[in-house]
Amino acid sequence: MAARSGTPFARADATAQTATPDGAARAGAPVAALEEVTFAYAGTERRALDGVTLKLWRGETIGVMGASGAGKSTLAKCLNRIVPAFEDGDFRGRVAIGGRAIDGSPVSELAPRVGMVFQDFEAQLFSTNVAHEVAFAMEQAGLAREEIAARIGPALEAVGLKGFDDRDPTSLSGGEKQRLAIASVLALRPDLIVLDEPTTDLDPEGRAEVFALIRRLREEGRTLLVIEHEAEELRGCDRIAILRDGAIVAEGEPASVMGRLALLEASGVHPPDLNRLLGMLEIHEHAESIDHAEALIRAHFPQLPRVERSESEAAGMVAEIRAGARTDTAAARPEPIAQLERVSYSYPFGPRVLDTVDLAIAPGEFVAVIGQNGSGKTTLAKHLVGLLQPETGRVLVAGRDRAGLAPAATAREVGYVFQNPDHQIFAATVEEEIAFGPRNLGLDSGEIGRRVAEVLGAVNLGAMRGSDPFLLSKGERQRLAVASVLALRPRLLILDEPTTGLDYREQRKMMALVRELNREGIAIMIITHTPWLVAEFAQRAVLMRRGRVLFDGAVREIFTHEDLLAGSSFRMPEATALARRFGFVALSPAELAARIRESA
Amino acid sequence: MHELRLMWRNTRMVVLCAISAALYAAVLVPFKVVPLIPGVTELRPANAIPIVCSFLFGPAAAWGSAIGNMIGDFFGGVGPGDIFGFVANLMYGYIPYKTWRIIADGQSPVMRTPANIAKYVAVCLAASVLCADLVGWGDNLLAFRPFSILGNIIIFNNMVSALVLSPLILYGVYPRVRAGRMLYTDMMPELAERPRATRIAGLTMLLAGEIGAWAMGNLVSTGYWMPSFLPASFAISPYDKAIAVTVSPLIFIALAGAWLM
Amino acid sequence: MPIYLYIDRRSAIHRLHPTVKVFALFVMFWSVYWVDHPLALLPLGVLMVALAQATGSWPNFYRLRWLFILLIFFTTLAWMVFYRRGPALIDLPIIHLSRASLVFGFGRGLKLAELLATSVLFLSTTKVEEFTAGLQRMGVPYRVGFAITLAFRLAPLFIDSALTVVQAQSLRGYDFDRGGPIARARRYVPVVIPVFMGALRKANNMAMALEARGFGIRAAPTSYIDFPLRPRDRLAFAIVAGIGVLYFAIYYFGYGAIAVS
Repeated sequence: MAARSGTPFARADATAQTATPDGAARAGAPVAALEEVTFAYAGTERRALDGVTLKLWRGETIGVMGASGAGKSTLAKCLNRIVPAFEDGDFRGRVAIGGRAIDGSPVSELAPRVGMVFQDFEAQLFSTNVAHEVAFAMEQAGLAREEIAARIGPALEAVGLKGFDDRDPTSLSGGEKQRLAIASVLALRPDLIVLDEPTTDLDPEGRAEVFALIRRLREEGRTLLVIEHEAEELRGCDRIAILRDGAIVAEGEPASVMGRLALLEASGVHPPDLNRLLGMLEIHEHAESIDHAEALIRAHFPQLPRVERSESEAAGMVAEIRAGARTDTAAARPEPIAQLERVSYSYPFGPRVLDTVDLAIAPGEFVAVIGQNGSGKTTLAKHLVGLLQPETGRVLVAGRDRAGLAPAATAREVGYVFQNPDHQIFAATVEEEIAFGPRNLGLDSGEIGRRVAEVLGAVNLGAMRGSDPFLLSKGERQRLAVASVLALRPRLLILDEPTTGLDYREQRKMMALVRELNREGIAIMIITHTPWLVAEFAQRAVLMRRGRVLFDGAVREIFTHEDLLAGSSFRMPEATALARRFGFVALSPAELAARIRESA
Repeated sequence: MHELRLMWRNTRMVVLCAISAALYAAVLVPFKVVPLIPGVTELRPANAIPIVCSFLFGPAAAWGSAIGNMIGDFFGGVGPGDIFGFVANLMYGYIPYKTWRIIADGQSPVMRTPANIAKYVAVCLAASVLCADLVGWGDNLLAFRPFSILGNIIIFNNMVSALVLSPLILYGVYPRVRAGRMLYTDMMPELAERPRATRIAGLTMLLAGEIGAWAMGNLVSTGYWMPSFLPASFAISPYDKAIAVTVSPLIFIALAGAWLM
Repeated sequence: MPIYLYIDRRSAIHRLHPTVKVFALFVMFWSVYWVDHPLALLPLGVLMVALAQATGSWPNFYRLRWLFILLIFFTTLAWMVFYRRGPALIDLPIIHLSRASLVFGFGRGLKLAELLATSVLFLSTTKVEEFTAGLQRMGVPYRVGFAITLAFRLAPLFIDSALTVVQAQSLRGYDFDRGGPIARARRYVPVVIPVFMGALRKANNMAMALEARGFGIRAAPTSYIDFPLRPRDRLAFAIVAGIGVLYFAIYYFGYGAIAVS
């Protein structure tokens, strides 16, 4: 294995194994091996996997990346025979665990050897109590009561849930639920743990928790296969495999894979910002961390300034940005579309979730609302659309006090797209789904037809107008949800985490759509956890913490407030963080590359 | 009826049973419309769910209906009548798919033709009447309430949901579940049926038994009519003994018929 | 939204062995069954009030207060129609208001209310896993108990998702309150379908995750939960059994019935 010091996954001492420098020949049988595996799901022609060969060695962590539908999950499911024992289809090739072929074994019998953690954390918890959840798999395997009792504590401790034994899993956060799922897998002490996009549906805190746990497991020398679509998170793996259309198109150490920008892009994988930046600067090396990237860049551009982050300089930078930003956001504002005036709110018997919040959204704005879970973002949005009424203060929509107006009454002013598109889709066709809102408004059929056609074009679903919405991909369903709200022609569109659960390509498509709508004059308010999305698309950022607005201003400016962001566990995009080292504010790798060249 | 036992071997069916139950309870609890007669019954849109699930998930829906009703009772309190409620709801989820297989095998329950509509109504009625019989009979046996109250309100309630709501939900859901190959027939290919003649005999017994029980329950519990062989001491309100003697055999005929189907 | 009745306290009743609790539930049903007269039922009512106090279950009783009141009221009323015994006090159409029908009806109402109270007490002090463990001890197969637990876990999830869907559709201008009762019931279709389809998406993932955890390796998995039978459980068992015997004795020796002249 190559030296890995300085990487986020760095392990104190590599587990003892006989590895040659290229990692090709190792002693004994691999923990898991796929040989020439090909699979097509029943009823489809398309090969979900196409001749995949992959070996996992003891103590190794392999990262698997690829776009949605590239075959990542199918590959994972081959390892415990969910494919083809549970999911029917045409299967060819061989899978061996610990050197023994597993064909013919039922899925359940492989559980003690291959542990599997799925993306959907709600669908893998079955008990009404945390300790029972951990006990579940051990009970199935027939372990004695004393043995089960002895293993529960350590398993919970390993995932940082010590003392949670009697909690109801429903009361846990997403990150905690996912860690609980990992604990229940760990308790069986499997040879291999497969994690299939374990953080895709989690917020940044949950992601950080789960990845910290994965790092710990790796340090303990466990064998892991991690599927993930954010390349940055996989930099510390021993090996990375890129899947595209069911085949492995690249495999090797992160340093050799992450720099292949064209290949990653073509495979629908977002290359790490640092690699993109280095590529733009024509530095053909792989950066393992921000420090590493800074060193590489300074080696090529020695004249770049070194910034000691003294307060006065930071203040100067803020002032400079503010002067520039004023033209962005503070230009003579017309009457706001929606406005909160000193609004406070608490849920019944709960703590205060909004605390004297003032906020106004003007026509044409693009606002990102950020903050930790529970900081009040969604509560704020629900006030704007009238799903909640303020305890004190008032909400104005188009200048009118919205108290007493039903949510439907302001549907023409403010539209709200829920986080999960499946919470609203019910109609038999895409077209009917979009027509549902206008029909509720009592519009005539001619007008409904015109709006449906217009909106279908806007979200690029015209070709699917007659399709069943349930057969669309997640990204398409999300765009359909947007379309069905757009058909009401709101002047302000609120989107609650519209990119959660989408792969990079779908995220980009979604955001391109939102930007286009904004250009056409619709004000956008987006609730999000995704740093690059804020940096790249929004003009104004609102940071919330414990029900208060902590910051409200230009996006450029918020990225100079490292303390504020860190306190809200909002991670700056890596390019932005790196730019700060050179004394710049840059919102994307391209912008930073330009600044570096300029000053060189 | 053996599939009610067989299905527990199939993990997907176990999950669908829990899901049917949770869906039933989830619609039962927040959409509990104003009680019609408190403690007796309420207008429950949730009653549409077991019918829908029955067509989709077969035996898993039968158990799901029974368990879901139990969870619903857990919010409003359980009583000894709930043992009858459990069996009644089991049948409410069991009869629709089972009867459908006999009178309209292979056809989609999403209504289109008049014949199809008539069959659908008949199936729902068969399920509702047996469900009502069981609860009314049990409640009157325990002398809590007369058969004629529950025995009729439940039929009315179930039929309203089955006719007003279930078809719309089925229309939205059935084609998708079929396309996703998640119907119980896809998941339990091992499902074997008794000979057709036996099943038809079973259906006949079911109908004779449940209609008889319903008529007898109404006549006896209101004191309107009583078989002359009964001793005079039986002919007094609350008529629990009379119900035990007259209605019970008919209920058993209906259940035996269901077993043969 | 708090949907289950369980109240997390450590009272002596909470800590009783689940089997003893299930036994107590049945003995209460049994005791209530044998007597008709409100006076004979009264001691049980007092006992339940005392237990409600001891277990801190008052919030649940308060939550269901209307159910209790209306249950007694309507049951009394119903039996005035059907229990046509004893001389009428006032001559009314349909309703037969006599001392006997009043006492009988009120007694039935009280019975039902006490049964409801018993179940509220049971649910306030028993966790789902204790309940299913109790069922399994009584011979219910593992997978059935599992499906019940899973349904209990899923129901709140589906309720949450139903409430979100209601919000999402109302923001698209959908008015849930328009029209008569039938039209209003129909208006829940755009809520039920998304919840249904969401549940189905989960079903496959869940079955997969279950098998991946070893569900099905053995028919009877071992159990981590252990409930040792302690001396105080035996004592409680004896007391409860005593109450059952006492109430049967009251019936047997001819007390507790309602005398009709």
